[in-house]
Amino acid sequence: MGDKTDVWQGTLALMVLKTLETLGPQHGYGIARRIEQTSGDLLSVNYGTLYPALLKLEQEGYIASEWGVSDNNRRAKFYKLTRAGRRQLEKEAREWEQATVILARFLAAKEEAS
Amino acid sequence: MIWIRSSFVRLRGLFRKEQLDRELDDELTSHLEMHIEENMRRGMTAEEARRDALIKLGGVEQTKESARDQRGIPFLETLFRDANYGVRGLLRSPAITLAALLSLALGIGANTAIFSLIDTVMLKALPVKEPAQLVLFGNGLDQGISDGFPNPWLYSYPFYREMQKRNQVFSEVAAAFSIVDRIHGFIDGRKDPEAMSIQLVSGTYFPMLGVQAAMGRTLSEEDDATEGGHPVAVVSHAWWKQSLASDPAVVGKKLTIGSTVYSIVGVAPAEFFGTKVGEAPDIWIPLSMQKEVPPGFDGYNDTRFESLHLMARLKPGVTLAGANANANELFQQILRGFAGAPLSAENLQDLEKTHVELNSMATGFTRLRWQFSEPLKILVVVVGFVLLIACANIANLLLARATTRAREIALRQALGAKRSRLIGQLLTESMVLAIAGGVLGIGFAYKASHLLLRMVSDGRESLQLNVPVDMRLLLFTLGVTLATALLFGTFPAIRATRVNLTDFLKDGQSRSQSSAAAKGWLARVLVISQVALSLVLLVGAGLFVRSLKNLSNVDTGFNRENVIRLLVDPSSVGYKEDARLMNLYQEIEQRVSALPGVRGASFSVFTFNEGTWNNAIWVQGYLSGHQSTNVHHNAVGTGYFAAMGIPLLSGRTFGPEDGATSPKVGVISETMARTLFPTGSPIGRRYGRGGPDNAGDIEVIGVVKDVKYNSLDEQPQPGDYLPYAQNIRYLRDFEVRYAGDSSATVAAIRQAIHDADPSLPVSDVMTLENQVARSITNERMVAQLSSFFGLLAVFLSCIGIYGLMSYLVTRRSNEIGLRMALGAERSQVLWLVMRESLLLVAFGIAIGVPVAFLCVRLLSSTLYGVRVNDPATLLTAAGLLLVTATTAGYLPARRAALVDPMVALRYE
Repeated sequence: MGDKTDVWQGTLALMVLKTLETLGPQHGYGIARRIEQTSGDLLSVNYGTLYPALLKLEQEGYIASEWGVSDNNRRAKFYKLTRAGRRQLEKEAREWEQATVILARFLAAKEEAS
Repeated sequence: MIWIRSSFVRLRGLFRKEQLDRELDDELTSHLEMHIEENMRRGMTAEEARRDALIKLGGVEQTKESARDQRGIPFLETLFRDANYGVRGLLRSPAITLAALLSLALGIGANTAIFSLIDTVMLKALPVKEPAQLVLFGNGLDQGISDGFPNPWLYSYPFYREMQKRNQVFSEVAAAFSIVDRIHGFIDGRKDPEAMSIQLVSGTYFPMLGVQAAMGRTLSEEDDATEGGHPVAVVSHAWWKQSLASDPAVVGKKLTIGSTVYSIVGVAPAEFFGTKVGEAPDIWIPLSMQKEVPPGFDGYNDTRFESLHLMARLKPGVTLAGANANANELFQQILRGFAGAPLSAENLQDLEKTHVELNSMATGFTRLRWQFSEPLKILVVVVGFVLLIACANIANLLLARATTRAREIALRQALGAKRSRLIGQLLTESMVLAIAGGVLGIGFAYKASHLLLRMVSDGRESLQLNVPVDMRLLLFTLGVTLATALLFGTFPAIRATRVNLTDFLKDGQSRSQSSAAAKGWLARVLVISQVALSLVLLVGAGLFVRSLKNLSNVDTGFNRENVIRLLVDPSSVGYKEDARLMNLYQEIEQRVSALPGVRGASFSVFTFNEGTWNNAIWVQGYLSGHQSTNVHHNAVGTGYFAAMGIPLLSGRTFGPEDGATSPKVGVISETMARTLFPTGSPIGRRYGRGGPDNAGDIEVIGVVKDVKYNSLDEQPQPGDYLPYAQNIRYLRDFEVRYAGDSSATVAAIRQAIHDADPSLPVSDVMTLENQVARSITNERMVAQLSSFFGLLAVFLSCIGIYGLMSYLVTRRSNEIGLRMALGAERSQVLWLVMRESLLLVAFGIAIGVPVAFLCVRLLSSTLYGVRVNDPATLLTAAGLLLVTATTAGYLPARRAALVDPMVALRYE
């Protein structure tokens, strides 16, 4: 896998956590759809990469899963945020904001200099 | 710590595969269904909806695969799978695998065991505080009591005190008696005497070493202040466990040694064995008590009673050289300063030339290093060779396997297996083999180190050594084999995967044959080296065996058969060196001589290989160059020559007429007669000890055959025998010549001794034959082990040849079938294959002979009565190798000859 995907995977985890915070317990398909909609359909989630990411988050203890029934009566696996996940989300969101601020300043400064 | 949690979960994932697989299936199914449903709501047809959902998911199987990778630990799973596959592959050729494993196990085990022994004897630091600061005066090899002037190896007690007082370089100086007393004492409340070895030490000994008691206290300077005033003892941890049953209330218990009652004040820590490697005394008593501990040394105030090993701890920042300079200066000053020092011009000249040599005592000191270094070095080389041969076998096995699988590997590559993945798999298989061999080797190392210690402990003193299997050494040897497996596993693995696929699949055969030729080259070199190494080992083993045989057949001068030898210790039960002791000896001799079947019985200072007693003697009227000559003495009873079977050559031996008050007489050896009384009969001539004035003291009454004193390979030496009645002293040994059953005789002898005095401790009962055999323990050990490893090497080489030939026959079965179809006789085919293995062996021998010559030349000093380039040994070794190797080559050759041409041709 290339470098881009790595970065992408990192942000994917954050998006998943944020989505679960906003929506509450949600199944894989729901999370994927929500991410697409939130990004204004600018992002096209490769659903295939979502499941390993969910598995990883679960292994790390940030989300928990259980089988339940969806709105239209389908059996589906529902994911929800754990307490550790909530903390992780705050932390990562903060870091991300910081990173964007720094990067934004950096880009602005570069333009001035040239 | 997240990674710990997730690795745990992932590890669990390895074992719940099926359930997790099912859940994933369900989850993806429900995902697809929801997606399809939504697509259809948006107006797609069922077909379109399904297609779009599948595309968005990016393939069900791919998703599952990447989820699975995330779930378990893919690296581990692959490893398990490969290992499993490797084990199955190895089990498919059990004979070769077993041989490879055994050779690895023996190679690793033997190397570890021998290195562990070397480590214990030569390299391990003393278990004391900062051992690197410790120094020893001299080399610690000398033992005993001397009155030499000057003597830089053994020191008097007053010298120790002066050195302690006046030096500027040591934070503390300590002294230990150079001989450990092996005597008998009584433990509080027990009637039977207990054997114990006692080390007399200065009060500074334990504080200087920085050794703290495990219980109670150790000795201190206060215990070494007044002569005879400190009856205290520290016991070793081992003795406390063994003789005092780990008594928790041991401090304050009493020990009766000689006529003094000692209080046990403490127990030394378990790891502390003293300062001399291999000796491990049971009890430490302050030097202030030396006169009270049998045999009652009287050296506390004697400046000419040189009997101590001196040791010291350097002050911080002082170098060994700096300390040496100061110690040397003081050595000169102290010896000159003693009242009554023998300061003749000659002695002063000697003193100026004599220097104290300080040596590091970080690893303790020991005669063992000197005694065992040669045989251990030989064994290290031998087992090293065996390990090399074992590694060659492994290499060959792996090479053969990799090459026969070239086709399989090419096929797998063609089907898309990654090269790294294939190499990884081949390596895993090599590792499986090496690790299994290593595990077996560890088990073997434990067994072998016990066995080895038993073999060397058979020597003159039982060795008090604790030889743990050293983990570092084990890991090192294991590392070597793993490296071999990796090296010889990698090489063919990389080559096998570099196959040009199209070529191979188009015409598998021609390709595989050229690679077989390349493989054959390396394998042949390996087999030839194995044969050469085996030859070297065989020649060495042959020489050692012949040397041992020569040694065992040496004429000792006495008849070693049918003699029982034991030790009686009257010194521990109150006897002094006086007439009462002599009467006791005579009474025992008479009682034992009267037993049925006993042909002679006598006490003596020693028999064989128990040390010697040397003095200069002066011969009356002897006018040749030297004033005096050193001879070996022995004080014996009247029955000694009969008991030992030493033939009388002229004159008479001792009789009852040679009593304490009769004229002094002596019996001399052939060599003494020849060298000191060269003209005329020595009978009636006179000599004496202690100076030219005493030259008329002793009259020669008989001449007996020469005997060996300390070792079987020594040259004949001058010696004399004196009747103990005229030389009152403790005699350790009691010898009895008997006919009939030995165990009944031993029981009768014990009874007779206890009839004379029931309290007498009797110990170390053995036959004279054993006593002689013990003196060549090292030689026997080397001969046995080198033979064992030599034969093992031949066996391993045979496996190597067998493996290679089998492999070649299998690869060439097509060609052989063709030849036979074209009319070749079976015998011709047999010869075709046999010629190959014979050539390998011949090459191996041709290389091995000069190497063997070079190697054994280094052994010449350790061999007895065999020439290094002994042609018989060489021929036997080469012959043995040729026969066994040919047999190993014959089996695959016969299989080749029995090939059915039709089957062989149809096969490819």
